Amino acid sequence: MGEQAQVSRPTLGDVEQILAALAQEGYIADREIATAIYLSIELHKPLLVEGAAGVGKTEIAKVMARALGTDLIRLQCYEGLDVNTALYEWNYQKQMLRIRLEEGSGRSPEEKEQTIFSEPFLLRRPLLQAITHPKAPVLLVDEIDRVDEEFEAFLLELLSDWQITIPEIGTIRAQHVPYVVLTSNRTRELSDALRRRCLYLWIDYPSFEKELAIVLRKVPGISRQLAEQIAAFLHAVRALDLQKVPGVAETLDWSAALMRLHRDHLDREAVERTLGCLFKHHEDQKVARGPWLDRALAVIADAQRDGQSLQAALDRLERLARG
Amino acid sequence: MRPEFGSLTEHVVEFSRRLRAHGVLCGPAETADALRALRAVNLLDREAFRLALRTTLPHRREDLAVFDALFESYWRAWRAPEPQAEDTKPEPQAAEGASLGSPSVRRWGREDPEGEQEVPGYSPLEVLSRKDFSSFREDELDRIARLVVAIARRIATRWSRRRRRARRSHLLDMRRTLRLHLRWGGAFPELAFQRRKIRKHRVVLLCDVSGSMDVYSRFLIQFVYALQDALGRVESFVFSTSLTRVTEELRSRSLRRALDRLSQTVPNWSGGTKIGTSLRQFLDRYGGLLDRHTVVVIVSDGWDTGEVEVLRRAMQEIRARAARVIWLNPLLGSPGYQPLTRGMQAALPYVHVFASAHNAESLRELEQALAQGRSRGSGRREAR
Repeated sequence: MGEQAQVSRPTLGDVEQILAALAQEGYIADREIATAIYLSIELHKPLLVEGAAGVGKTEIAKVMARALGTDLIRLQCYEGLDVNTALYEWNYQKQMLRIRLEEGSGRSPEEKEQTIFSEPFLLRRPLLQAITHPKAPVLLVDEIDRVDEEFEAFLLELLSDWQITIPEIGTIRAQHVPYVVLTSNRTRELSDALRRRCLYLWIDYPSFEKELAIVLRKVPGISRQLAEQIAAFLHAVRALDLQKVPGVAETLDWSAALMRLHRDHLDREAVERTLGCLFKHHEDQKVARGPWLDRALAVIADAQRDGQSLQAALDRLERLARG
Repeated sequence: MRPEFGSLTEHVVEFSRRLRAHGVLCGPAETADALRALRAVNLLDREAFRLALRTTLPHRREDLAVFDALFESYWRAWRAPEPQAEDTKPEPQAAEGASLGSPSVRRWGREDPEGEQEVPGYSPLEVLSRKDFSSFREDELDRIARLVVAIARRIATRWSRRRRRARRSHLLDMRRTLRLHLRWGGAFPELAFQRRKIRKHRVVLLCDVSGSMDVYSRFLIQFVYALQDALGRVESFVFSTSLTRVTEELRSRSLRRALDRLSQTVPNWSGGTKIGTSLRQFLDRYGGLLDRHTVVVIVSDGWDTGEVEVLRRAMQEIRARAARVIWLNPLLGSPGYQPLTRGMQAALPYVHVFASAHNAESLRELEQALAQGRSRGSGRREAR
């Protein structure tokens, strides 16, 4: 283990290059996102990404890893996640076997103990993997809001020192400081200390233009007309009073479903048949089926036919959805 | 190469200071990051400049709106660096309401950032009335306080996933077992176990002190106080037309002193009630207190003079974000009472436990209800 945690890492170049690299990876980003990624790399600081479910928070880390040509190590958080699952665990089966093998070898218990509590018997969990990786990886700590305060404090310490201590082995320092991306769905407020450790990025639902670009890019063979209708419809849907607002993932599922049904435009029947792609609550589906649907579809069709101002049409849709 | 950089640094420091004055979590460390970030971006590009500051200075979504508003007013004068403009310090604009996002931002715009902080929720327009609490009887208080402490402990305790060594339980501590195993040379003479450690819930107490709750307010305040005293992690709020956080006020050792202080600091004690608005205020300002380990206790009769829909949505959100929602309604104790007020009707679907809190006896019943709730809850957790 090196004496100094080294921070010499490859970078992605400036913001424009990051935008290009992200686009190449199929991720439609805006400058806000690209700047956050850029600064996170330049300032060597973890990036905290917040936003509603399905806006592409996790994607950022995946794309970052691919663009940097490095590995992605993912720690999926959940309630009750503990150090054994996140950091390391001893391989008990292997230890047992070794004990059996050494029976009658005449070695003292102390010597045996030293053997079985050494690195070959260690199971590396994501955090230890990230620290000992031969090349600076991207470490994704997904849904950090699900762990409890104690684990959060532990993580904060790790992000500061980049070293961990295993009682039986000693202190392990990071050879290469990983790129860190933390995501949160805001089910719990994170501590101020953790926030202040990180750069901050809030990802909102995409604008009409961005969503259109995403659909065109991610749904092969879709016509521009249908893609525009889908993006406009989603713009309206997100103004509805829903339990679960559909994210980009839902938009893409829905687009794919419409393509499967060979639809080239939206109408009530098409929407009703594919409702399950967008709305995951029974109540939400009822809301979506309501009388506003016909009027919204009419507004979209009119806007496209007459080529009227896009912004005006989107505003009308929003008012319609708000009732 | 950037002759104006010195003055820019000063402006960034001043800008951070202003963000801080407006409640944004932002100190010298953030300012240093911002300055480092500015060295890494193209300063001639105003958008790059803005995004560099926006990524480094604020740390939460709520602060982004404050940042955007302040950025516009503070850096309005700042364009791409021009040699002659370098020493003119941009004057922060006294914000005109229209250009700024939220009402709170607008309010800040009018205030001197260095000025006295007002009591949250205080407004001279609201009816202010203060109550004398001297009528509390000491012996009565002690008795009820003891009971309430028992109830409070029950609310606030749950089994946690954190483990602790213990003699008997169902989780093997493999690390210790192996060590014992080694020591005894091969057999398993003893298994080491782990036990769940007891962890406490956070309790958020929202207490109606409006006119319609007048009769009960002294009883309620005992409840608030006892919860506060029994546990470290209770956040207490009182509300009528607006919400006031009283956690600090109730922290003092003597209840009598705490009550005196409260009656002086809480505005509109026994005024009208806007339950929905108050709960919304709670969510907006203190929503971060809610998580899956939080028990929310609302004490109110449900007489809401505000919009029912506001109340319904606030309750829906609280229900979605907290572990348990308990509504204590003192009127439930009166014979023949039906929870028919519109506010109560709107709130009920989002309440786990609906109980009365009109006397000590009813609190005892509540204690039992909570005990049942807990054992069910922990059973489910342990099954996973």
